[in-house]
Amino acid sequence: MENIIEVKNIKRYYKIAKEEKGFWASLKSLVNKKYEIKKAVDDISFEIKKGEITGFIGKNGAGKSTTIKMLSGILYPDSGTVKIDGYIPYKQRKQYVKNIGVVFGQKSQLHWDLPLIESFELMKYIYKIPKKVYEENLKKFVELLDMEDFINQPVRQLSLGQRMRGDIVAALLHSPKLVFLDEPTIGLDVVAKEKIREFIKYMNKNEQTTIIFTTHDMQDIEKVCERLIIIDQGKKVYDGTIAEIKNKYSNIKNIEVMYEDGSKEMKTFDINKIPMNQVMEKLFTEESIKDISICEPEIDGIIRDIYEGKIELNADTKGE
Amino acid sequence: MRTYVEFAIKKFQNKMAYRLEFFMGIVNTIITIVVYLCIYKALYEGKAEVDGISYAMTATSFVISLGLSNAFHFNEMFIQDKIHDGSITNEFLKPVNFVFRLLWENIGEGLFRVVFNFLPAVVFACFYTKLCAPYSMGNFIIMLISVALGYLVLWLLSLIIQVLSFWLFSVWGIMTIKNVIVNILSGVFLPLWFMPDIIKKIIVFTPFESIYFTPIRIYLGEVTGMEMLSKLSLQLMWIGILGGMAGVLWSKGVKKLVVQGG
Ligand SMILES: Nc1ncnc2c1ncn2[C@@H]1O[C@H](COP(=O)(O)OP(=O)(O)OP(=O)(O)O)[C@@H](O)[C@H]1O
Ligand SMILES: [Mg+2]
Repeated sequence: MENIIEVKNIKRYYKIAKEEKGFWASLKSLVNKKYEIKKAVDDISFEIKKGEITGFIGKNGAGKSTTIKMLSGILYPDSGTVKIDGYIPYKQRKQYVKNIGVVFGQKSQLHWDLPLIESFELMKYIYKIPKKVYEENLKKFVELLDMEDFINQPVRQLSLGQRMRGDIVAALLHSPKLVFLDEPTIGLDVVAKEKIREFIKYMNKNEQTTIIFTTHDMQDIEKVCERLIIIDQGKKVYDGTIAEIKNKYSNIKNIEVMYEDGSKEMKTFDINKIPMNQVMEKLFTEESIKDISICEPEIDGIIRDIYEGKIELNADTKGE
Repeated sequence: MRTYVEFAIKKFQNKMAYRLEFFMGIVNTIITIVVYLCIYKALYEGKAEVDGISYAMTATSFVISLGLSNAFHFNEMFIQDKIHDGSITNEFLKPVNFVFRLLWENIGEGLFRVVFNFLPAVVFACFYTKLCAPYSMGNFIIMLISVALGYLVLWLLSLIIQVLSFWLFSVWGIMTIKNVIVNILSGVFLPLWFMPDIIKKIIVFTPFESIYFTPIRIYLGEVTGMEMLSKLSLQLMWIGILGGMAGVLWSKGVKKLVVQGG
């Protein structure tokens, strides 16, 4: 399959004005403002093939939303290039956005006062969706996401989960080839999350939609994605499949230790650094230990270890 | 075009959701009409004319300009709010021109106010006092065109200030000053006939006369024939000038947002 997205060395730095404390300092800053440079995205490259479904994860402030903004054409990179389906998003925005669907989970794009269905109707005109396509899509989506009950309610009266489903449908009614979902499961309960995951998978499988989404929920990633990109402080630290990452970090062992007083503790060891026999030896010399159990690393745990810097990433762990 | 008309229709429906606001609006308009007409009546002290203008003309002028100023009312903090909560960028994700969309939404809202606020108030005012009929059918039709152009002049003035919120943290103050100036210099509360001569001379060089006073004078037949066309072209000129300014500011603002990231 050919690439639909090609991102080369994009950077995005923000200039943040330093707020000075105190009267004189703030007066001085009127004349001589000090800026701090925040490297939101710092040299990221990747390619994505048609029909791929990619999870984008990273800590708060890692640069996910900034990257999605550059991919969807509403932010210029400071340097580097983005090429998507023949377009340069930020330069050919008006043409380009017809072909994509974007949801920012933290910000609704629906009309607050109108019933959900009216916001959908508006999409029909905005994207000039043929009547037949619109009706088919609407029927299908409403069924898949179980929305019959609240489609005639004004958006301001919807619950977060209902609103999010509305936002997702609104972004997909024009059958975009490429969809960006920035935290589509934020703040949702387990059932609503599951619905959205199923829906994302359905769109990818049945409509061959290429999907990139960001999340803080590893379950989303495990259940939906084939591919995972992890970014940290504006840099890409992992790019590969979930199976690969589990495999790659199979040297990381989590050992749950139970002490005599009944308390438990999770310890992380890298058996490439300390072989298992040494680990055991070390543990057995601690007298107060009652029991131990070795746990295979869960994706959650691996990601947490990466975020916390317990796992060192170097060039050859980047999955490429 | 269809897309944008749809924005107007949706906004119209949107407004229908607030029925209480609509009733309060009518009450408010009627009270304002009664109060001001009493003041004008007192000012006329039973005289037939003041400065060659009859009471009926003054009353008509007031009712029309009040109605129009109500219809021309829209959320002037819209762009600022969108910039503050960051949702302005969402607007660029749609293949529609945001400024045109805003215009049509505001028109939808304006039409709502004309139908549900202005027309009831006019009916009331007709019973309450004697108003002038349109000078002629031709004048009435030209006046409708002039109203639309006047709307654009006012809308563009507001847009220019709204767009400043790309650079200023709050445009509320400037907006308030603009509204005070517009209300005085465009003759909403005191028709421009009664302004001191110096101010009248200054106003000629500003867009304010084009907003309400030009349509009113056409309606009353103070301006007729070819002179109407020259008044319309003056309105068009202001639309050109203000539209150009708004356009430049808007594209600079958008550039600031997408290039510098807000
Ligand atoms: N408009 C802006 N001006 C200045 N700094 C910004 C702006 N937008 C984002 N940043 C900074 O850039 C960094 C990356 O932000 P971004 O929103 O991309 O993070 P994220 O990965 O989406 O985080 P989260 O998981 O919390 O949504 C953060 O440190 C943030 O403070
Ligand atoms: Mg984010």
